[in-house]
Amino acid sequence: MSSTGATSPSSETIERKRSRAPLYAVVAIVVVIVIVVAGFYAGWFKSASSASSGNCAPPTGVTIIGAGSTLVYPLMFQWETVFGGGTTVNYASVGSSAGITDISAKTVDFGASDAPLNPAQRATAAGVLTIPESAGGVVPIYNLPGVGTLNFNGTVLADIYLGTISYWNSPALAALNPDASLPDQPIQVVYRSDGSGTTFIWTSYLSLEDATFASQIGKGTQVDWPVGSGEPKNAGVAGYVQETPYTIGYVDLNYALNGGIQFGRVENPQGNFILASVNNTASALRDANPTLPAGNGDWYNVSVLNAPGLYDYPITSLTYILVYQDLSGAYGSSFSLNQAKALVDFLYWMVTTGQTYSAELYYVPLPPSVVANSEASIGSITFNGATVPNSCGSSV
Amino acid sequence: MFLGFVTAGGVVLLVLIFLILAVLIAQSEPAFRAFGLEFLVGTRWDVTRQVYGVIPFVAGTLITSGIALLLGLPLALGAAIFLTTQAPVAFRGPLGTVIDLLAAIPSVVYGFWGLLVLAPFMRTTADPALQRYLGWTGAFGGTATGTGVLTAGVVLAIMVIPTISAISRETLAAVPASQREAALSLGATSWETTRVASLPYARAGIFGATVLGLGRALGETMAVTMTIGNHDAVPTSLFSQGQSIASLIANELVNNTGPLQYSAIIEAGLILLMISLLVNVGARLLLWRVTGSVGSEAPR
Repeated sequence: MSSTGATSPSSETIERKRSRAPLYAVVAIVVVIVIVVAGFYAGWFKSASSASSGNCAPPTGVTIIGAGSTLVYPLMFQWETVFGGGTTVNYASVGSSAGITDISAKTVDFGASDAPLNPAQRATAAGVLTIPESAGGVVPIYNLPGVGTLNFNGTVLADIYLGTISYWNSPALAALNPDASLPDQPIQVVYRSDGSGTTFIWTSYLSLEDATFASQIGKGTQVDWPVGSGEPKNAGVAGYVQETPYTIGYVDLNYALNGGIQFGRVENPQGNFILASVNNTASALRDANPTLPAGNGDWYNVSVLNAPGLYDYPITSLTYILVYQDLSGAYGSSFSLNQAKALVDFLYWMVTTGQTYSAELYYVPLPPSVVANSEASIGSITFNGATVPNSCGSSV
Repeated sequence: MFLGFVTAGGVVLLVLIFLILAVLIAQSEPAFRAFGLEFLVGTRWDVTRQVYGVIPFVAGTLITSGIALLLGLPLALGAAIFLTTQAPVAFRGPLGTVIDLLAAIPSVVYGFWGLLVLAPFMRTTADPALQRYLGWTGAFGGTATGTGVLTAGVVLAIMVIPTISAISRETLAAVPASQREAALSLGATSWETTRVASLPYARAGIFGATVLGLGRALGETMAVTMTIGNHDAVPTSLFSQGQSIASLIANELVNNTGPLQYSAIIEAGLILLMISLLVNVGARLLLWRVTGSVGSEAPR
């Protein structure tokens, strides 16, 4: 622009440049630190030997993607972290209904749902296997200042959710809790606002216990509640109930135990009021001893509710993995044999070694009869017409 | 070059609107085929029986937005008049900035505040008082649980204030000083000056600001989802839990239980778009009638 600009830089300019050198050094160091820290978290420096997937040897460099149930997410997160050997598992906890939608649309390698596929969903997701991978219970939570652990039974819970019992001091509730000083306050019902497997388990139980509930509302992941307010996810229901006096809601047992949330006892068919625990949910699952269909069969009416044991907790359920039986047929050429192997290894590991992580997270390990069913289903998964072998040294 | 660029900008936006409309119409077709006009008058939303009607959500949307305007407009207008004419000059800038800042708060924060602070206050203090003194109107029946259409409306009112106030302030500031001085020299009080000189001059702008605020209230999702109670039924009182169209989409679109529910939710979205369109067109027509006789710029 100006002719003076062509002259050599003045000493002042050099001075300024020199004084910037330390700044550049600091920036460089910061950049290096950021890259190292990011790399550390991204797993760049993790040696392959640090992964511990039991005796499995899944293929390396493969990522498998799953989505669905929020109930199973804490356990799935643990599984994702522990299962290694170069296979990465990414699970998105988007809710059971969304998991079913995703597997139907083939946007994920496996779905997870606490509710089995209903007849319409089975028609949409043809060729999908239903594989139990864990189990849990659903518990009633409530907020009554100064009142201890309450007793409930199926009909009372159904009447509360129908709105026919609308006060905490109603005679039906008082009869179950003769020692509690129940307040003369309206009951505020809270339910899940999102399509939820927990809602499916809860409404299945209430339908089983109460004919009016079954005919007026029925079971489903989302139903037409006559009373109450909806909150999203377990956290939304639990948070709202803990925040608001005179509310009642329902959450997963593992969520209540992990969060230290107070919940009520529920009467089982043998007339005992049971405070849910991992132990009495596990025994319920063993005692219910359900007749399980084949993986590609109809699971809609499989139920482990109201188990016959004397001290079994009544509101229990299996939770399921949904995966295509014919992987090459479902996903086409975009799906490799290595992906198939990684997926089968992960599923197999999940229902065997993976079960040992259940108890510490308050999940119920699957009983052997259920594991056998799951193993058989996993063994029936094919790729290009051949059974996909698993590398976990099993006899399947 | 420049002309081509700005033309492209305009055309792309126009195409975008039509694409959105086309997708909404195409995806809501199954629901329209199944329910037809029943969808528009249906008051039941029953996922188990696959019966869908949009009235609960239209009601929830209109009631919450109505409350928002009813409470928000006087406050926003008051703030705008105060800041342009009454406040000490040194404070006008900073105070205006603070009100504008309200618009920068993410809506999830409003929702969280609504759920944790406002809802308990409504339940324990405001709702019982309303029931006691205004219960005869019939609008405050039932049990106050904290969440509900009234709470959502109050949160929305706070959220529309910065929108309405900022634009009203601009238009009020544009009122020529000579207008106000003329009124004052005739012995008018502050209120009279505002009424005869400022407000008529600025009414087109204030009206536009109100429509923009209403648009924000109609479409607000997060804060409403967190405070309205998410109950798929027509509210029977202002304490009732309800659902707006936006909160319906937030709650149920991702977690839909089948193609028909998905399609029904999309159709509800289409109806929300129609409501917004009607509000805008209606407001424009009203504006013409109001300002047409005196000219849209300034009263003569």
